[in-house]
Amino acid sequence: MSIVAIFVNVLLFLLLAPLFEGVMRRITARVQSRQGPPIVQPYYDLFKLLGKERINSAGNWAFKLAPLAALASILAVVSLVPFGSRVNALGGRVDAITVVYLLTLGGVSVLLGALASRNTFAAIGASREMVTMVMVEPVLAMTLILGAVRTHSLGLGPAVFSTAGAGFSLSTGVMLVAYLLALQAFVAKQPFDIPEAEIEILEGPFIEYSGPDYGMFRIYMMMKQMFYAWLFVAVFIPIGRTGLYPLNILLQLLGTLVVFVVIALVGSTNPRLRIDQAVKIYAVLILIALGAVGLAVAGV
Amino acid sequence: MDAIARIETGLKGRFGADIKGLSSPSPARLFVDVDRRALRASSKMLIELGGRYMVGIGYDEIARNGTLGLIHTFAFDADHVAVVLRTSAPASDPTFDSITPDIPNAGWSEREYQDLLGMKFTGHPKPKRLILADDWPDGIYPLRKEVPYNLEPPAAEDVAYRLDEAPPGTTIVPVGPFHVSLHEPEHFAVYVDGETIKGCDYRGFMTHRGIEKLCQTQVSYNEVPFVAERICGICGSVHAVCYAQAVETAAGIPISRRAEYIRTIMLEIERLHSHLLWLGIAGHLIGFDTVFMQAWRVREKVMWLAERITGNRKTYGMVLIGGVRRDITPEIRSEIEGMLATLEKEVMVLKNAVIGDSAIHRRTKGVGFLSKEDAIRWSLVGPVARARGLRLDARKDHPYAAYGDMTFDVPVVDSCDVWGTLVVRVLEIFESIAILRQALAGMPADGPILTAIPEALPPLRHAVSMVEAPRGESVHYVITGEENRPERWRVRAPTYPNLQAVPAMLLDNQFADFPIILGQIDPCFSCTDRVAVVDAGTGAKRVLGRAELEGMSRKPEGGGSRS
Amino acid sequence: MWLASKIKQVLMVMKPGVVTLKYPFEPRPAPENFRGAPHWDHTKCIGCAGCAEHCPARTIMVRALCQEIRVLLYDGSRCTYCGRCAEVCPEKAIVMTPRFEQATDDRNDITENLELFMLTCQRCGRCYDMETTSAIDKLGLTGYRYDSLEARTVIRKATDSFRPKELEATERYERPGKTGD
Repeated sequence: MSIVAIFVNVLLFLLLAPLFEGVMRRITARVQSRQGPPIVQPYYDLFKLLGKERINSAGNWAFKLAPLAALASILAVVSLVPFGSRVNALGGRVDAITVVYLLTLGGVSVLLGALASRNTFAAIGASREMVTMVMVEPVLAMTLILGAVRTHSLGLGPAVFSTAGAGFSLSTGVMLVAYLLALQAFVAKQPFDIPEAEIEILEGPFIEYSGPDYGMFRIYMMMKQMFYAWLFVAVFIPIGRTGLYPLNILLQLLGTLVVFVVIALVGSTNPRLRIDQAVKIYAVLILIALGAVGLAVAGV
Repeated sequence: MDAIARIETGLKGRFGADIKGLSSPSPARLFVDVDRRALRASSKMLIELGGRYMVGIGYDEIARNGTLGLIHTFAFDADHVAVVLRTSAPASDPTFDSITPDIPNAGWSEREYQDLLGMKFTGHPKPKRLILADDWPDGIYPLRKEVPYNLEPPAAEDVAYRLDEAPPGTTIVPVGPFHVSLHEPEHFAVYVDGETIKGCDYRGFMTHRGIEKLCQTQVSYNEVPFVAERICGICGSVHAVCYAQAVETAAGIPISRRAEYIRTIMLEIERLHSHLLWLGIAGHLIGFDTVFMQAWRVREKVMWLAERITGNRKTYGMVLIGGVRRDITPEIRSEIEGMLATLEKEVMVLKNAVIGDSAIHRRTKGVGFLSKEDAIRWSLVGPVARARGLRLDARKDHPYAAYGDMTFDVPVVDSCDVWGTLVVRVLEIFESIAILRQALAGMPADGPILTAIPEALPPLRHAVSMVEAPRGESVHYVITGEENRPERWRVRAPTYPNLQAVPAMLLDNQFADFPIILGQIDPCFSCTDRVAVVDAGTGAKRVLGRAELEGMSRKPEGGGSRS
Repeated sequence: MWLASKIKQVLMVMKPGVVTLKYPFEPRPAPENFRGAPHWDHTKCIGCAGCAEHCPARTIMVRALCQEIRVLLYDGSRCTYCGRCAEVCPEKAIVMTPRFEQATDDRNDITENLELFMLTCQRCGRCYDMETTSAIDKLGLTGYRYDSLEARTVIRKATDSFRPKELEATERYERPGKTGD
């Protein structure tokens, strides 16, 4: 049964991530007083991209490898997580640190692709992406570490479901605020969509990518978004803890949908910040997250 | 002492015999003919007397008397006077002293005539090609009368503009010719050190359409307003009105008061839609697409109104020499009033949303700083200048159309940054609404809208006309000609002087702010690049990334004429 | 506070709702007085070619085939919808229709071709009524015109004093080579 869960994870994330992206685009459009694309538009976009010619404009192996590595890393993360409150066969063998490493691997693949492109704009995008990763990943790591501290176990299941295991507390509350504020940076939406600032640096790291490679990066980005939104629900909101597996999944998906609505609303009502302004905000977030972990260690 | 008298005595006192003629056909204009020896010194003196440089005009008189003429125009805003300094040089030795070292803004005017008329300017700090493509053959000067307007020399490949030296330790980021934040092709080579901008070189004029040459050789007086309207994608009426005013001044054609009021109404409607457009673009450039969509939603009502009045959303086609083509009927009048009421409410909502938003403050305050002294030195115009404490507005300084009868404020702030230009433009929207209401109320009840012109226009009369476009002051210089068309027509859009100051504005800012700093002058490159013959030039070569470009599916367009 | 202003912004945008139409599935007609494509009424046209004289885009061509037959060709591809033709027509034979959806892959869809049988002139002088309006707007009723209907172009006049030798010289001109030469 827990092996089936792995496939359920992967399939659901793969198939539903574009749908959530479509919901976000629709809400953004409504905020902008226009109709917006159909909710299934990202599926059409992905099919279109996958059908295009594969152009290796940089001419080296790293360029071809990067999208594959990114997609592989996010698929690995997705297959491990305890979606639907069920720890599957793989999830039981890894701990929270692995997830952090795998997510970082995804970011590094983007960097690899950008730097392999040999393009000025990609280089600028890569440097912004590096800065963002360095400053924002610690918040994610500390969320999981918080769970680990509170449940006294680094295992993936307990770390993620810390509120189920050890109940709500002040440190969880502080962490919730930090995670919410960093959520926009995790999913790369305004005000923190700096690495792919379309207007300034023409899509940044992905400028040289087109066709199926770009499609792979897009699905990687969409699944990453869905993962972060789901993680918020899983860690901080105690729904989806009923005994029934399908019901858990449904409830967690609904929670993810609500988080996406919030992301879309915040994204469409904010301008993009500059990287130096964003760094100052990230620094504050790291301090808040550290504070939360400190509180947890102190037993609060 | 009267301003014109003061200037005349000053010039005569210093230059005596070099002043070959002084004439003042109206209280607001002074034409000074000067020998070219005294050109630089007299220009400097006019600036010291309080003038502001507007534009230079070169023209070909070779068939008439073997000379090339050069004109520099200056505005004395506080005195409501424009001074025109005319000189000439024989075609065998078309050399003039460059006035750019004293007046930086003349740099482009002089480079333009270097390219187009073959004049030489001694002492010019940067005598590079400005207008013509880099592979245009030497010795063929498109604005000279002997060159046909549709000459297409064959193109060459791999010829590029030589960029300025990059400051040490910087990389070059090629912004353009195609870039998402630019609406028209132009090339800014931005020198960055990390994310900080250390310098910038500009190569533009890639969207030449040969408008001035065309209208001097092929098109008649009453067809030029339709071409003039299409110089710009936003401020069409401005160019048509400015041209018509220049011709009417030159030929002494009085137009009816009602026509002037109608022109005023069209100009203000254009200002409304242009400022709302800019607000949207500014939002888009800082990544705030919602401001973009909402501002344009509000703007759409103005476009519908324009369509109702003139028959088209943007190319109004209202202006002819002698007046306007369509009248404002009472039902259109009530529609205008209704639209103004809704617009005022909606712009107030937009204003509160934008002005109170701290995120927007963070992206625009302190960005694109240029001090008031620099703004005066570079002769900036428009909201960019008004955001730096300069009270410049052609509607008040050189009243035209019906603006003499209107009471309105000119919003001036002194924050010297992008935020200032945003505030100025939003406040100007409200002023425009007030002017429109006054114009509708004060319009004469009846009268002709188009004056009959009884006889052909006298040739070889000069006139200069200034109109306040949404982006700043637009200057048209017309010399009437034979054959029912202008002999010379020079268009200077407000972006022309403002663009020259952009490298100064970019220094020491973050690269991420490049689009919004460029956006603060509300650049209208189609207005700026209107001169020279249609050419088959290639675009400027990208300094970095060329291998990528060639590897991609797009091939460069040069090599061989168009079919 | 930042959060309050953002919530206020979201509520502010809810009021206008969705303003875009599902055009072209929802039609959007042009308003009154809109300047769309011009249309000639062949029963009223007298073949004076005043419209052709005043078209800024030079997209109305007239050719007198012989004394009795005159062809007027309007090629909509260059038309700027300015409405000058309708304004100067002495017989009010041209109206600016509200048609603006003109995109097509067949040039004949936007062409109007009139073949006019010219009667012998009765010297009523009506065509000259337009002449008195404006000295710079003369109808130019000169009679014979011979535009190129095959190439759909008005025969233009280049500069009087152009020297063909100079154009030849440009063909032989040595271009600068690559940067750095």
